[in-house]
Amino acid sequence: MQGIQFKNVSKFYEEGDSEFTALNNVSISVNPGEFVAVVGPSGSGKSTFLSIAGALLQPSKGNVMINGTNLKDLKSIELAKLRLEEIGFILQTSNLVPYLHVLDQLLVVKKMKGSITAEDKRYAKELLEEVGLGNKVKKYPDQLSGGERQRTAIARAFINDPNIILADEPTASLDSQRAFEIVELISKGVKSRNKAAIMVTHDERLLTYCDKVYQMLDGNLELMKKQPLTNH
Amino acid sequence: MFLALKELKHAKLRFFMIGMILVLISWLVFILSGLGNGLSSLSASSFKKMDAEFVVFEEGSRHSMLRSVISDDMTKDLKALPNVEDAAPMGYRSAVVLKENVTSDDEKIDVSLLGIHPGSFLEPEVIEGHSLEKGKNTEVIVNDSLKNQGIHIGDTLEIEGSTEVITVVGFVKNESFNHLPAILMTMDHWRTIHFAAPGSDMGINNPVNAIMLQGKQINPDEVNQAIEGIETTTKKEAINGIPGYTAENGTIMMMLAFLMAISAVVITVFFYVLTLQKSNQFGIMKAIGASNAFLGRAVVSQVFLLAVVSIGFGILLTYGTAAILPDEMPFALDLKLVFSYAIVLLIVSVLSSLFSVRKITKIDPLQAIGRIE
Ligand SMILES: Nc1ncnc2c1ncn2[C@@H]1O[C@H](COP(=O)(O)OP(=O)(O)OP(=O)(O)O)[C@@H](O)[C@H]1O
Ligand SMILES: [Mg+2]
Repeated sequence: MQGIQFKNVSKFYEEGDSEFTALNNVSISVNPGEFVAVVGPSGSGKSTFLSIAGALLQPSKGNVMINGTNLKDLKSIELAKLRLEEIGFILQTSNLVPYLHVLDQLLVVKKMKGSITAEDKRYAKELLEEVGLGNKVKKYPDQLSGGERQRTAIARAFINDPNIILADEPTASLDSQRAFEIVELISKGVKSRNKAAIMVTHDERLLTYCDKVYQMLDGNLELMKKQPLTNH
Repeated sequence: MFLALKELKHAKLRFFMIGMILVLISWLVFILSGLGNGLSSLSASSFKKMDAEFVVFEEGSRHSMLRSVISDDMTKDLKALPNVEDAAPMGYRSAVVLKENVTSDDEKIDVSLLGIHPGSFLEPEVIEGHSLEKGKNTEVIVNDSLKNQGIHIGDTLEIEGSTEVITVVGFVKNESFNHLPAILMTMDHWRTIHFAAPGSDMGINNPVNAIMLQGKQINPDEVNQAIEGIETTTKKEAINGIPGYTAENGTIMMMLAFLMAISAVVITVFFYVLTLQKSNQFGIMKAIGASNAFLGRAVVSQVFLLAVVSIGFGILLTYGTAAILPDEMPFALDLKLVFSYAIVLLIVSVLSSLFSVRKITKIDPLQAIGRIE
């Protein structure tokens, strides 16, 4: 089964004698081509949820399947490989490597897998063209605006052609105009390449781009009644 | 290599500074090794070069030529022992020589007089002139460093405190003993000089200081048991018995060891701090799928590259220094020695980077999520 599935996933943190429930029996399924948003107040467990979806954190209970593979069965080196090949992360700002220019930000991901081919370079340039950075491929992160950095991160998330795209507050440090552009780019990438995508966000205005919106409240994930407008 | 090179290029100044430290350290290491090598050959080259495996001293002399007097008559007994392939005696004394008819004190030369049997395996090849000959007792062959003091073949030298004169008939290379250039002469003539005072030979027939043995299979204990009143040691121990040799060598080795330790600490600290600074960056790379091996390789290859380049510059500088050092300096660069210290430095550097690698393996990719830096 493609995409990402949570089956009754819980996450507890030890807090002295008591246990703190960061995720409570969460079930969700995101299929290829679906762009899902998760909203919720601070401390409700959104990042915890995304970390588990991104194979960075093991759940205390329940199962997480990514492309039909149960994460429980994987060792840490296999988890790293799965993240490399199946998951594209778009994190908050300054998640670029400072000493690599825009093109190398993408190619380093290829390098993690092995070697860089001419085809990889061509594809990286195509992706950068798509996010509007075709003329900035040799710029370093400190020469880019916040929005340009996020575009680079988006292109990077797609370079390995993963099945899953995860974004944690990708617009946190951008003004609303930039934020719309960024989410639109993610949405376009997800749709045209048929990815299963989850975005955590605070900004309700961005939800128009998403197919489904879930709300996290004290570790409980619920589909929101009011469906957002279908995107344009 | 990908990350390593890109970062080196991007943060040139930072890596240039640590590179400079490495250049200076390796430069000092090579200079010291050259100095150590020069000193030890000055102190013992005649011993080091001789083609013998064991040395026989008088019992109780604690491996010192100065304290040992034994009889040359033993030589034939020693030769007869099992495993002994050949044996040849040597005598040593220090002396001050002076070109004949020169009175100025400035022209006095400190030397080591070494007595040997002409034609024995202890006689070095001459690079100029001719070798010692039996019966021609006043003829000597001398270390070619004496050329700098204006000594030529055919010159006659007086020995201070003795009426004997000697004539230079040949030059040899790299023969010095106890920090002084060697003059090699026949054993008979050496004896007349060394035991000039009546009774100074303590009644020993044909006295010499030591007898060198050839034969890899020799068991020193067996030799000691076979012949009364002697102690047999390896050549290495005999070299250590040369006055000052162990102290000198020990000091230089200690300095070298300190330098290695310093370079290890410098590299460890520098890259560890760098790794701590970049820990968030490594966390992000891990989150997007970088393995520990990938990131570890980046650090190790960075240190490797930096060390290779810096040590290379260190070697260049060392040979540059060697070219301008005065000839009298006991400085002898040995390519093999330089190379082995270079390898040791490189290994030390790379091992030091492993601390950072360990740190990297402990960085949790989770820290990349849910943070604004
Ligand atoms: N390592 C941990 N140990 C204990 N408690 C933790 C740990 N990590 C997170 N928590 C708790 O779990 C809860 C959920 O945290 P999480 O980071 O998922 O919140 P969030 O929804 O992403 O909040 P925000 O919108 O502020 O980023 C919080 O109450 C937090 O204090
Ligand atoms: Mg969060």
